[in-house]
Formats: sequence, C-alpha cells, structure tokens
Amino acid sequence: MSESVLKVESVHTYIGQHHILQGISFEAVADAVTVLIGRNGAGKSTAIKTVMGLLAATDGRIIYRGQEIQRKKPYEIARMGIGFVPEDMGIFSGLTVEENMKVAMLVEDKTTHERLERTLNMFSDLRKFWKSKAGNLSGGQKQMLAIARAIVNDTSLLLIDEPSKGLAPIVVESLVKAINQIKERSVVILVEQNFFMASAVGDNFYILDDGFVVHSGVMEELIHNAELKSRFLGISKTANTG
Amino acid sequence: MEATFIKRRSRELAVAGTIILFLLPLLGISGKTYLTLTIAGLAMGMLLFLVASGVSIIFGLMDVLNFAHGALFAWGAYVGFTVFNMMMKWVTAESVFKNFAVFLFAIIIAMITVAVLGIVLERVIIRRVYGNHLFQILITFGATIVLVELIRVFWGPNDEVMTVPFSFRGNWDVLDVIVDRYRVICITMGFALYAAIQLILKKTKLGIIVRAGVENREMIQAMGHNIFRLFTGVFAVGAALAALGGMAMSVFSLQVYPDMGGTYLLFAFIVVIIGGLGSVTGSLVGAIIVGLSYNYVAYLVPWAAAGANVMIMIIILLVRPAGLFPAGE
Amino acid sequence: MAELTAVQLFHQEEKRRRFRRGGFFIGLGVLCILLLVPFVLPSYKTVDLAVKIIIFATLVASFDIMLGYTGILSFGHGMFFGIGAYCVAFLVSKYGAPTYLNLMLGMAIAAAVASGLAILISFLSLRVKTIFFAMVTLAIAELAIILATKLSVFTGGEDGISLAMPGIFSFAYSMGKFLGMEITGKIVTYYLILLSCLGMFMMMLRFTHSPLGRVLQAIRDNEQRAEALGFKTFVFQGISITFSCVMAAITGGFYAMWVGYVNPESCLGVFAIMLAVLLMCIIGGMGTLYGGIVGAAFYLITETFLPDLQHLAKDLFPSAVFLHNVLERWYLFLGVLFILVIIFFPKGVIGSVREFIDRRK
Repeated sequence: MSESVLKVESVHTYIGQHHILQGISFEAVADAVTVLIGRNGAGKSTAIKTVMGLLAATDGRIIYRGQEIQRKKPYEIARMGIGFVPEDMGIFSGLTVEENMKVAMLVEDKTTHERLERTLNMFSDLRKFWKSKAGNLSGGQKQMLAIARAIVNDTSLLLIDEPSKGLAPIVVESLVKAINQIKERSVVILVEQNFFMASAVGDNFYILDDGFVVHSGVMEELIHNAELKSRFLGISKTANTG
Repeated sequence: MEATFIKRRSRELAVAGTIILFLLPLLGISGKTYLTLTIAGLAMGMLLFLVASGVSIIFGLMDVLNFAHGALFAWGAYVGFTVFNMMMKWVTAESVFKNFAVFLFAIIIAMITVAVLGIVLERVIIRRVYGNHLFQILITFGATIVLVELIRVFWGPNDEVMTVPFSFRGNWDVLDVIVDRYRVICITMGFALYAAIQLILKKTKLGIIVRAGVENREMIQAMGHNIFRLFTGVFAVGAALAALGGMAMSVFSLQVYPDMGGTYLLFAFIVVIIGGLGSVTGSLVGAIIVGLSYNYVAYLVPWAAAGANVMIMIIILLVRPAGLFPAGE
Repeated sequence: MAELTAVQLFHQEEKRRRFRRGGFFIGLGVLCILLLVPFVLPSYKTVDLAVKIIIFATLVASFDIMLGYTGILSFGHGMFFGIGAYCVAFLVSKYGAPTYLNLMLGMAIAAAVASGLAILISFLSLRVKTIFFAMVTLAIAELAIILATKLSVFTGGEDGISLAMPGIFSFAYSMGKFLGMEITGKIVTYYLILLSCLGMFMMMLRFTHSPLGRVLQAIRDNEQRAEALGFKTFVFQGISITFSCVMAAITGGFYAMWVGYVNPESCLGVFAIMLAVLLMCIIGGMGTLYGGIVGAAFYLITETFLPDLQHLAKDLFPSAVFLHNVLERWYLFLGVLFILVIIFFPKGVIGSVREFIDRRK
C-alpha cells in the first residue's frame, strides 16, 4: 500500500459564521494524483486553503509526512515542501516573470537553479517572456507561471486549485501534459470542476458536496459511473466525457 | 470613444494638466521669483516625500493606516535636536566636513531611535488591530497622543530653536537667482533617497518580496515568506523615514515643537491620496505637487494655501480615487 | 386577534425591556444629579463642570450615531460644533444684537449650515473608503480652523468673539430667590441647556430605535447585504450624517451661550474638541448613546479635579519630580487608557457592562 503523504481527518472550517467544511477526511498517497471534485461551493477550495493554513481549521487534524500541521502558519507550511497554486493563480502582475520566480525560490543554490532550468524547459513560454511584466501574459501562460513558482523549490506536495478554469481546451491539454510530468516528482492534490481535466490526470478521487466527502475511490471507477457523475457533478448521463 | 481615451490616459492627463497649471504663475510673476518659489516648493515636497513614502508603503504592504506617523516624525526631530545640542561645537563650526558629519550623525541616531520605537509600536499595538481599519485609526491616534505627551515629558512643552549647521546657512547666487542652500540640500537628499529606495525595491530580493507582498499579501505567505517579520521590518523603515523627514524639517523651519507632527501628517496623507497608496513613485510625484502648489498659492493668495491642497485632494478622490500611481499598475 | 409576527413580537419585547436596561437607569440617575447640582453644589466650578458634561455628553452621543450606529468615522465633528458656536456668536454679537430672536435664529442658521455641509460631506463619503473619508474630514476640519483664523475680518480671527446673552439668560438678570438660592441668568441658562440637551438626547435615542436606525445598523454591519436587500445605503448614511452633524452644531450653540466666548482654538480645534469627543466616545462605549454620558463625565471630572490630585501627590511624595511631571501630563494617562480600552475593552464602559450582564443571564 502506498505511503500516505497528506492525511486530513475530520476537519471543520468556518468562513465568518458559515460552516463550510463539516468534518471532511481525505488522504493523498505517494505516486498518485488525488483529485477533489465537486460542484461550485462544495468546499473544495476551502479544503485546500485549510491545508495551506490560509484558513484556520477549528477542529480535526491535518498530518503531513507524519507531522501535524493544522496549527502552523502558511509560510511554515510552504517551507515544509508544500506548493500552492490558488484559484486566481496569485500572479504578481506588477513584477516580471523573472521576479515572480525569484520570489518563489526560497533558497538560491545549485539544486534550485537546476530545478528552475527543468521547469523553464517544461514551460518554454516563460523563458520567452522572462523580462516581461507578468500581468501581460495570457491566461494559459499565467497558469504556467503559477505552477512553475510552486514547483521550483523542493516540493513534495503540490496543491492546485482549478487550473483549467477559463482556459481554452488546447491550453488545458498542455496543462494535462505538464501535470503528468510533475507527478513523477511530487504528489499532487488537484481541485477541479472540469471532469475532463480531472479524469485525464487523476488517479484517486474524492467527491465533495456541501462540505462533506460523499464518495471516494479510484478514477477508473468514477469515469464509468454515470450515476455519481450526474448526482454530484451535474454531468448529464448522456454526455460524452469519458 | 472620447470617454475611454480620457479614462485610459487619466494619469498622463492629470500630470500634464498639473504641469500646465504650475507654469501659469509665470504669467503673473517674474521668472526669478518663480524659480525661488519652485525651489522652495521642491524642497518642501522632498521633506513631505520622506514622511509620505513611509505611510504609503506601510499601507500598501500591511493595509495599516498609521496615524502615529506624525508623532514619529516629531520624535525624529527632537532626537536630532538633542544630538545637535550635545555636539553644538560641530554644528556651529565653520567646517563643511564637521557640519555634514554632525548632520549625518544626528540623522542616523534619530533614524535608529525612531525605528526601534516603530518596532515596539508595531509589535505591541498595531499587531492587535490588523484588518480593522477603524481600530487602526483609533489606536494609532491614541499612540500619537502618548508619543507626543512623552515628548513633553522628556523635553518640555515649549517650542525650541533648532540651530542650522553653519555651512547650511545662507544662499548661493546662481545666475542672479538667490537659492537657499539648505533647500538645495533637502532636494538632493530627497532625490537620493528616492533613488536608494527604488534601487532596493527593484534590485534586491527583499525589495521584490515587499513589492509582491503589496500586491498580494496572502500569496506571499503561501510562498514561504514570514510576513510578520516583513511587516515589522517595513514598519521600522517607514518610521525611520519619518524620523529623517522630521529631522530635516526641523532644520528647514528652525524649530521643534511637540505638535509638529500633526500638520505634516495631514500633508502626508494628502500626498498619499494624490499619489496612490503603496507606490513610492506616487509619493514622490504627489509630494512635489503638494509642495509646489502650496508655495505658489501661498505667494499669490496666502490664506488659500492649505485650502488649495485640500481641494486637489478632493478632486483626485472624486476623479481617480486610487491615486495617480496605484500599486499593481 | 391575529397572531403577532416575529418582528412585532420583537418590538413588543424590546419596548418592555427598554425601561429595565441598565443604561436607562444610569441616565435617570445622572439626570437627577444634574437637576440638583446648582442647588447642592453651587460653586462656579461644579456648575461649569456640570454644563460641560451635559453639552459634551450630547455631542458625543451625536458622534456615536455616526460612529457606533452607522459605522462612519469622521474627524470633522469638532468643526460642526465650532460652526454652531460661531453661528450663535455671529447673530447674537458680531452681526446682530443679544435678543431672543437672534439667539433662535443663530441656532437655526447653525442647523442649516451644518446640514448643508453634512450633505456635501456625505456625497464624498459615497465615493471613498473608510480611511480616506477619515483623512478628508480631518483635512477639512484643519482647513476650517485655518480659515477661521485667517479670515479675521469675518470671524474675529484668533481673538475670537465675545457674546452676551439676552434677557433672562444674561449675567445681570436675577429672578429672585428659590429654595434659598439666588436664581441668576446663569442658573436659568443652565436649566435651559439641561432640558434642551435632554430633549436632543431623547431624540437621538428615538432615532436609533426607529426603523431608520435599524437600517443604519444593518448597513454598518454588512453594507453589501443591506444594498442587496434593496436599501439605498447612501441615502440612509446621508441622513444619519446630517442628523448627527446638526445635533453637534446645536450643542456648539449652547456652548457659546454658556461660555460667552468663541475662538478657533477652543471651539474648532481638533485637539480641543475632536480628540476629547473621540476619547469620551471610545471610553464610554461606541454604539451605546449612554456611553457619551459616562465618557464625558469621566473625562471632564478628571480634567477638572486633576490639579487637586496633583497637589495631593506633591504633598504625599514631595521629591518624586518625575511623578509630578507625568501627572502634569494627564493626556498621557488618557492616551494610554485609550489604547488599553481599545485593546481590552473595545466596547467601552457601557458596552462591556452590558456584555457582562448579558452573559450572566
């Protein structure tokens, strides 16, 4: 059985007075991409942000490589090797691509520079626009930059929130390719509404609905389960998304 | 189509319009007077820039409105005053070297003292009111009261005379124009500081992190940077800049008095509103605008000087609330 | 009889509870004390203190309507106070004569000017965020002081304007004796101010409990939601600001009546008036009109009796020079207290007491 990299146990999160996460539990194991899938407002982004420490878990535990991290600050969590790509990509528009990468690199040693090289090879557009302001990049390129920032350090766990949102299908395809490359080095937790994206890269899935985990399993199973797809993902039974 | 052109180029139009406005007085007054006023305005602007830049960056990065900046400004002046008193011989000596040395020394001591004060302020008081603008204003207002009263306790409640270093006094005669020496020094200092700040912001890693943090505080944390240490650091730097401004201003106006922070704080806020919160360039441009307009109007219509600045501020707030150079643009 | 709706039940319950609330009793108690002061403690010092407490309590309550109930921080309240004082001074002294008509006219004009200016200011507040609005009001208030000082032809400049009161309010007047005390014009003025301010205070209470007041609180708590519910937040905020500023101006008018002298420093000064109002409001309790009474009483009593405290300290500890220095700077204490209250008791005295009682239930 694969080793557990991240384990979330019965976590509750409130945003203001709203009880968003009502005791969710999920696990990300090594050498697999875990997808959190579900409708709008199901609590997927909240779950990721809670893992990252940007939202406080009022109850439950989050265990990363054997350490409890639910009380840690976001920058401590980041330094433990968790990379984060938020829903709005979090690009610093006023800074150049180079400066964005510089902020991302926590140490400036040889290994990090080698990783930078590899990352730029994967996302060649970034090299092209190296000295341009990040705000001038296209949507797809911004997404690449956001991912590149998150993997340039020694990242063992990558959290990505809805990367395909608002992107053209052809860009989504290159994203799929990139994530498939990344998953060879890091464990990925992907939050997605887009079923195509989820099924193309995901190995395990958890369906979230109204702050609960309602179903989980291997991606193969979900692809062929029209019932689940229509109930929780709003995918009509006659749609061709397999 | 017309509307969008104006909106897109509103900043350029505003700056162009202001330049034209500033050249208007030439129609009424002699070129020499104009030049003197301009230099006075630039000097005042530079000193305002020092105070305003601190407020601007602190707000841009920490989303904290620091009403206590004026008090820090006053403290800088008083510490400088004390250093001058202790080393009065060097202040009045007829040696350029000694004058500059003691001036620099006073500035450094003032900046360090006030930076420490700023750190205490940030950790003890401001940390507790992150995210709540109303309480920030109230609590920093309270801090101002305490700091100003402490000045009265330590130095007494009276106005004190600030001695101008010997070689800073007097004028230079440049092409028949009388140019105040100290004003030129202030202008140079201001530009030098602007250049230094820009250098740090653009070229050093710390500067890049600060600029990123101004744009997106949450993301910079998620990327592994200790935002709280950053806040304290930025606050200390902002405080030090205010101290520098206060010290320089006290020599400019030849006096120190406990409430001196109040008036300049107001001007600093006007500068920040005009220039845009979070932008150092904005503070510079805003400060120059405020300084120049104050001096021009003061010469032409004395009682309207302060009012003119308030008017500009209101106009900017109505037309372009984010200021001339909002962060992130 | 039809079943009462939830809202009606709420109102009924509130009406019943209204007279049992602690604040009401404190108010009643204070009122009784104030009614008796001229007879029980007739020295000039105490009567003067009492009037100042009355006036400032009302002023702070009006400030609280803006800050505590509507959620708007304005540093211009001192300016409105000063406008009221100056309007009365203009009509009773500089541009008119001490007559009853002029006195009332002065108050009316103060109200008119205040409402005009308040409406202008509320237009501005629509466009800008909290912080900017606070700064702008500060700038405008400072501007007002400069104008009052510089345009000395109109305003008497730094020297200000002295005014004498008409008829039964004037110094010379005497109504004979009552309960062994000579009823002078000052005493008459005292009761006029007390009753008028009482009326204003009750008007403000009514305002906050009215449907309008509730909408304001809703806007304060969550502006977007209130807008989504269909309320034109701007209109409501405008009404609240105008009401609040008019009240402030009228208290300013009363201040001029009592003190008999207006000048920029004492009436418009940010440090003289605005700061005190802010301190009183926070210490007494934001969002509880009664907090103004507590805050004003605390501040003014301390200020008046501090010299005595200083003498006491000098007698007890004759050599502690630093202690004397610090005591002399009572603003230092106030500032520290202010900060401590904000950190530990953000609801002020009244608010914390109410919270304490609520929790006990």
